[in-house]
Amino acid sequence: MGNFFSSMFDRLLGAEKELRILILGLDGAGKTTILYRLQIGEVITTKPTIGFNVETLNYKNLKLNVWDLGGQTSIRPYWRCYYANTAAVIFVVDSTDKDRMNIASKELHLMLQEEELQDSALLVFANKQDQPGALSASEVSKELNLAELKDRSWSIVASSAIKGEGITEGLDWLIDVIKEEQM
Amino acid sequence: MSAQTYKKSEDPHSGSLPDKMAIYQDCLNRFNESPVNPKLCRTLITSLLELLSHGETFPRQEATALFFSISKLFQHPNDSLRQIVYVAIKELCGISDDILMATSSIMKDVQNGSDLVKPNAIRALIRVLDESTAFSAERLLKNSLVSKHPSICSASLVSSYHLLPIAETTVKRFANETQEAVGDLKQLPYPDENSRYYPTTSHISQYHALGLLYQLKNHDKMALIKLIQQFAGHSSPLKNQLAQVQMVKFVHQLVLKDPNSIPQFLPLIANWLQSRHEAVALEACKLTASLSNLVPNDLFAAAVSVLQGFLSTPRVTTRFAAVRLLNKISMVSPEKIVVCNPQLESLVNDSNRNISTYTITTLLKTGTDKNIGSLIKTITKFIHEVNDDFKIIIIDAIRTLSLNFPEECDTILHFLMESLQSAEGSLQFKNSVVEALIDLIQFVPQSKEKALEELCDFIEDCEYNEILVRILHLLGKEGPTTKNPSLYVRHIYNRVILENSIIRSAAVLSLSKFALVKNDPELVESIEQLLTQIKTDSDDEVRDRASIALQFIDSVKSKKDVSNIAQNFIRPTSTYDVVALESKLSHYLSQGQEAFKTPFDVSSVAKYSEDEKKALDLKRRQEQAFNHTEESSNSGAGNGNGTEKGGRKGDRLDDNSFNGPSLESEEEDLLLSKYVDEMSSLEQFQSFGKCIHSSKIVPLTEIEAEFVVKGIKHLFDEHVVLQFHITNTLKDVALDNVEVVCQQEGLSEGLLDEQEEFVLPIERLLPNEGESCYVSFKKLTQNKDDIIVERFSNSLKFQSKELDPSTSLPFEDDEGFQDEYEFDSLFLSPGDYMKPSFVSNFATSLEELPYESVSVYNIVETNTLQEVIDKLVISAGGLPLENSQIVSHDATQHTLKLSGKCILDNTKALLSIKMIKTSKGIAIKALVKSDKESLAEDLSNNLI
Ligand SMILES: Nc1nc2c(ncn2[C@@H]2O[C@H](COP(=O)(O)OP(=O)(O)O)[C@@H](O)[C@H]2O)c(=O)[nH]1
Ligand SMILES: [Mg+2]
Repeated sequence: MGNFFSSMFDRLLGAEKELRILILGLDGAGKTTILYRLQIGEVITTKPTIGFNVETLNYKNLKLNVWDLGGQTSIRPYWRCYYANTAAVIFVVDSTDKDRMNIASKELHLMLQEEELQDSALLVFANKQDQPGALSASEVSKELNLAELKDRSWSIVASSAIKGEGITEGLDWLIDVIKEEQM
Repeated sequence: MSAQTYKKSEDPHSGSLPDKMAIYQDCLNRFNESPVNPKLCRTLITSLLELLSHGETFPRQEATALFFSISKLFQHPNDSLRQIVYVAIKELCGISDDILMATSSIMKDVQNGSDLVKPNAIRALIRVLDESTAFSAERLLKNSLVSKHPSICSASLVSSYHLLPIAETTVKRFANETQEAVGDLKQLPYPDENSRYYPTTSHISQYHALGLLYQLKNHDKMALIKLIQQFAGHSSPLKNQLAQVQMVKFVHQLVLKDPNSIPQFLPLIANWLQSRHEAVALEACKLTASLSNLVPNDLFAAAVSVLQGFLSTPRVTTRFAAVRLLNKISMVSPEKIVVCNPQLESLVNDSNRNISTYTITTLLKTGTDKNIGSLIKTITKFIHEVNDDFKIIIIDAIRTLSLNFPEECDTILHFLMESLQSAEGSLQFKNSVVEALIDLIQFVPQSKEKALEELCDFIEDCEYNEILVRILHLLGKEGPTTKNPSLYVRHIYNRVILENSIIRSAAVLSLSKFALVKNDPELVESIEQLLTQIKTDSDDEVRDRASIALQFIDSVKSKKDVSNIAQNFIRPTSTYDVVALESKLSHYLSQGQEAFKTPFDVSSVAKYSEDEKKALDLKRRQEQAFNHTEESSNSGAGNGNGTEKGGRKGDRLDDNSFNGPSLESEEEDLLLSKYVDEMSSLEQFQSFGKCIHSSKIVPLTEIEAEFVVKGIKHLFDEHVVLQFHITNTLKDVALDNVEVVCQQEGLSEGLLDEQEEFVLPIERLLPNEGESCYVSFKKLTQNKDDIIVERFSNSLKFQSKELDPSTSLPFEDDEGFQDEYEFDSLFLSPGDYMKPSFVSNFATSLEELPYESVSVYNIVETNTLQEVIDKLVISAGGLPLENSQIVSHDATQHTLKLSGKCILDNTKALLSIKMIKTSKGIAIKALVKSDKESLAEDLSNNLI
């Protein structure tokens, strides 16, 4: 049954169709680490991203176009230049960075107000769960006021990019939602 | 075809250029699409680049939008799309904001991209970096610098070069990698074994590496010498010819700064001359030529023979370069290239007109009395075919020729007159012909009458006002002293009848000069008649000039003109120094109303008599000849300056504009007149009367010294004043009560008081300030014409005080620290009493002078002849004649010929100084002849 649907889905979208996904979040949250964990399955050493990284990856017969945008204060204003045609946003939060939770929350809600992102699904990674003192997914959810979100498919997943935990689960949920919405 | 479409097709771009707005919209739409269509995007970017390359530009906002949309193409991994994306980013960087957004993506390509896109990525990367982000790209760039792939290596070398002014500290750390790249012979990878063509490399990365390395070591002379030793010479790893050329330029630069280092480079230069690369050999020739007398004759000959060979290559550029260089050599040492004459003669009709023009002018300078005639014939045929610029070059060459071959003046005069009369040629060209004629008349007396007569004929039918006026002036100046002055009067008067008012008034002035001709009352009378007639002219100016001229003539005739005032008006015996006059006038004008209450004091401007002016002209001519050759040497060596900040991008290679010596000497003159003004405005010197003469500025310390001192000697009727201009170059110290202590050596033998009259100290000299201290001595002799010679050894006395950084002034309670500083001695030499003066025939003038004095000197120090000559020219102060101020490198004897006049009483003196170089030193025998016995003795006894 699932097989049947997914092959029909492929035909509907056409083989060429790519899904645009943005990875956003404050600097140091683990965005770049997640991107390359997804692409090459390994942890790479990262430097602060000046600008963005973009990678195309095949995930479950889908072509994903994943944009990892730098999170420094100086670069956040440019996020909006990359909002158009975005199917989903992955918002990464450093669960140990309690001091900046409110900033992360503000940036998130600011972003979600954008017209171009009204139809995009939202996946939040409560990252760095391997670290002691990390807030749990529900605590992060509270800090970010996720409950306020209306008319949007969203989910929060606890993750550790270093250990590779939670990442595929989160992405699986995201793909499912997108498929449903596109159907 | 309508006029409009015709025009369009004439300009290949105007019609076919894509529409800017359409392209802009297309770019935004297409680049934001997902998935991206690489082929289409590539085509679109090409159109965009086409627009930009035709000077179209976008407002910042639109450019930024374009930049962001292009950045989205990074999602597509297609290499050829990526390449053009990089080209576009490079172009947009200058006009768009927020370019740093591309940084991470570009860096990723530099690290992991294919070899195809890496070079492009590197070149784009440095456009988006700034000082802080450059730091994070350091590793990446270093890795690319040592890449085995020549294109990647080159790209990172060139990019680092451009990055240097933006992120100096980062790039400075690339020295080792760059050094390595110079010697590394990189091969393109993957030779295809099945194919006959496999990729070869030009090793251009060596050139790029050298360029960067030079920038990194620019300020370190020793490092540069080490670099040359390492990469030039027998086992040189340099394969690339541009790199080798660069090496020659480095050497060039070094030896210009330090001529003593020449010998160590001679083997290298000899080696380069034999290079199989023409460019390298040419560069080495250039170097040799600019060193001229400083290299051994056989090396110079070797260079000339290389050039000679190049004259017959089929490659136009090489021929051109060779003949141009020969032309430069010919301006200073024509005798050294006479051997090339056969090859040069065959180039006279070269189909490239630039080559043939240079050939001709070169031949003219190397010409001998035997072939000058035929050369001029060739030019006569040929001059119609070249444009005016080259015509002027030819005329200039002819002009120098006339000075060197006075015997040929008939042929030359004929040629010049033909050029003047021919229907073609611009005003500028005609003017240069007239100038050549004026020179001929001035410096070659035997041509004078004939030339003037020819000019008389010419003005009967001349269309240019400017030229007519010049010639009329010349006729007035020279005509009265010819055998038959009335001939010119007729021609000049014709102008009064036939021409417009500008020319009529010039003619009036000219006519009036003939009224001063002695022993020909008839002529004077007819001039008066003519002028009386002109008083009825319809033009005010013409009438006024005639009336005043008649007044002057009248007072000269009636002997009322005791002090020759009227005579001087008609025929001035001296003219002002125009440069000084201009600068003083503009200074006067800039002072405003208050200053205008006192009239401008023209007596402070130097005046030159006829032969002094000629001397100056000739000197300037000599300097010009050098100027030309120097130019070739200075335009070399890649020395943009690496420390300059702010210039965001590229294009700073090599633009070291050249300042010729003539410019420098002009600035020097202006500086001198500034110092002299300073001195003469001081109260203490008002009672001294007029300053008879001020010497040139003499540097008394190195220019890098802590205190830079320059000295000037001022001569008054009864006093000698030494002015010391002192500049404090220390950053944090002030000097208080600065004074110079002068000690006489005793050469003046009782003519000058040993004890100074007074010293005017400088109260305080803050960092970077310059001021003058004066020391005044009283003459003990009553005779104003006595020449006083003295050597003063000097030291500086002052209190040094540290500065309070908050006020930039010395601390209130600082007593200071008494200190002394010695600097070079100042020599009041006989040359300070001499001014240059021109004589047209040195040998006969020497014969004619009645008094003679001979002295003999022996110099044991190992000076070169040229050094001795340079010193003598300064210490004797005359004008070098017949190019005798230049000696060839390996000559063992020489005669220096100087001509001058004493500034005190205008007595003439000529010096013929023979020198012979032996193993023991240089023996000098100076023969001085003069109108006055004491002058001859003073000069000959105090030369050194
Ligand atoms: N302990 C831990 N460290 C992480 C995790 N994810 C990322 N990091 C580290 O956090 C730092 C910032 O990661 P990066 O991916 O560059 O963050 P970005 O600025 O959001 O792209 C790096 O040192 C990562 O190794 C994680 O799940 N656990
Ligand atoms: Mg990052």
